[in-house]
Amino acid sequence: MTRPDFLIFAITVGSLVFFGGMAVLALSWSVREGQFRNLEHGSQTIFDPDEPIGEVTDRFPSNEE
Amino acid sequence: MSADSFAVERARIDASTRLPVLVWFASALFWLVFGSLAALAASLKMHTPEFLGASQALTFGFIRPIHLNTVVYGWSSMAGIGTLLWLIPRLARTMLVFPKLLVFSAIVWNIGVLAGTVGLFLGMTTGIEWLEFPPFVPPILTFALLIVTFCGFATFRQRNERHVYVTLWYVLGALVWMPAVYVIAVTLCVYQPAPGVVQAATNWWFAHNVLGLWLTPIGVGAAYYIIPKVLGRPIYSYYLSIVGFWALALFYSWAGMHHLIGGPLPTWLVSASVVGSIMMFIPVLAVALNHHMTMVGNFHHLRYSPTLRFVVFGAMAYTVVSFQGSIEALRSFNVISHFTHYTISHAHLGLYGFFSMVMFGCMYYIVPRLTEWEWASAGLIRLHFWCSAIGITLYFVALTVGGWHQGMMAQDASIAHISQVEFTKPYLWARSVGGTLMLIGNLTFALLFTLNLMKLGKRRVGETTFRTPMKAVRVS
Repeated sequence: MTRPDFLIFAITVGSLVFFGGMAVLALSWSVREGQFRNLEHGSQTIFDPDEPIGEVTDRFPSNEE
Repeated sequence: MSADSFAVERARIDASTRLPVLVWFASALFWLVFGSLAALAASLKMHTPEFLGASQALTFGFIRPIHLNTVVYGWSSMAGIGTLLWLIPRLARTMLVFPKLLVFSAIVWNIGVLAGTVGLFLGMTTGIEWLEFPPFVPPILTFALLIVTFCGFATFRQRNERHVYVTLWYVLGALVWMPAVYVIAVTLCVYQPAPGVVQAATNWWFAHNVLGLWLTPIGVGAAYYIIPKVLGRPIYSYYLSIVGFWALALFYSWAGMHHLIGGPLPTWLVSASVVGSIMMFIPVLAVALNHHMTMVGNFHHLRYSPTLRFVVFGAMAYTVVSFQGSIEALRSFNVISHFTHYTISHAHLGLYGFFSMVMFGCMYYIVPRLTEWEWASAGLIRLHFWCSAIGITLYFVALTVGGWHQGMMAQDASIAHISQVEFTKPYLWARSVGGTLMLIGNLTFALLFTLNLMKLGKRRVGETTFRTPMKAVRVS
């Protein structure tokens, strides 16, 4: 096996392990953490009592000083 | 916690990101203007070849990779990194860690892009599309990117919000994928070039993944935060958004080989890529459905919110460009559209119509919250939007129609090549007009950003930021 051939082989296998491994790890971690348990609640975590659901948070600047 | 304490917490978190995010954004805008000027020069040369033809460094072969690399690594990547550095602490409800280190990483990244651009002007290109920067540049960019990835995950680790919002999945995914994809690509294409078609396969695997595993997750992830946040309405189907993320993670990296349809690659490899491209309908449908259904009943807000206007335009362009991309991967379609201006229009709809417009929208939301200074002029924001929107639409329509006809003419062996070239000229002129409009839009935004950063003009606070953050901090 020539050096470039070995490199291609190593990178291909390494990529499989890296990308596949990361995906498996991330999925198993999120299941363990209960990330998928209450998605309704999850979708509302970007709101809070100061910027609640129903409140628009962007507008064109006014012309007043 | 009272409403005020939430406002204080949010203001403190935003403040922790101020310096690095503004440095990444300011640099991005410099490269946007620079890259747009190179783009316009390249576009004019397509129908007026003698334009700037006297200088070697300004010929098409030089200026085109300069445009590509400055808008991908300068503008898009830097705008994306600035946005994700603001998003991660907000969604993790914690301070950004090592902000000074992130400013340092922005300086290093700028040095890399600047050195690469000077190298390209001097003719030191690798000749590999999307990786043209000279061989001394990738280690600089990789080093800066690894700092960003490290700080992103270190911030995430300190999170006070237990739930990982879908945007976080996307941006953290991008931070893992991009360094790996970049290092693998430069290794097999530049430092230890793989023999034969493996190099071409790696090249297009990389080029497509820059879009799919780097810019797309940042753009889509940002839209998943900005649209519901601006409207004050949760995403239509959060479940679908999670499915969409995992489907993207699973299928996008397959898609690159559709650039090599008809090339001397093993058929199974190209076929697998075509299948992966078609499977992308799943995450794209999930995103399209979610963005559209969240907006239903709220389209009137587009009149009042600059952020929403840009992000929704970007989200719609994402749907169009992604469906188009999947169809372009079909062999029967590809044989006509590939190697024509059709592909160029598709690429620009993705990088400008989708990604850049989402980034503009994000910046309109983020910057006033960091500088505590209102945007200088609603009129200039409108000018920016309409120049960019009409510019990219004209560009897309002209090159799509012209490119398709060009492809059909190429199928007929009796039509001389020069006839195709002559035929495309009016469409190329239309492209230059569209490009000029986009340049005007970009310059307008750069002016607005500079005015805001330097706090020039009358003091304006209120409408954009809604609650002056530091006032909230002081009240506490």
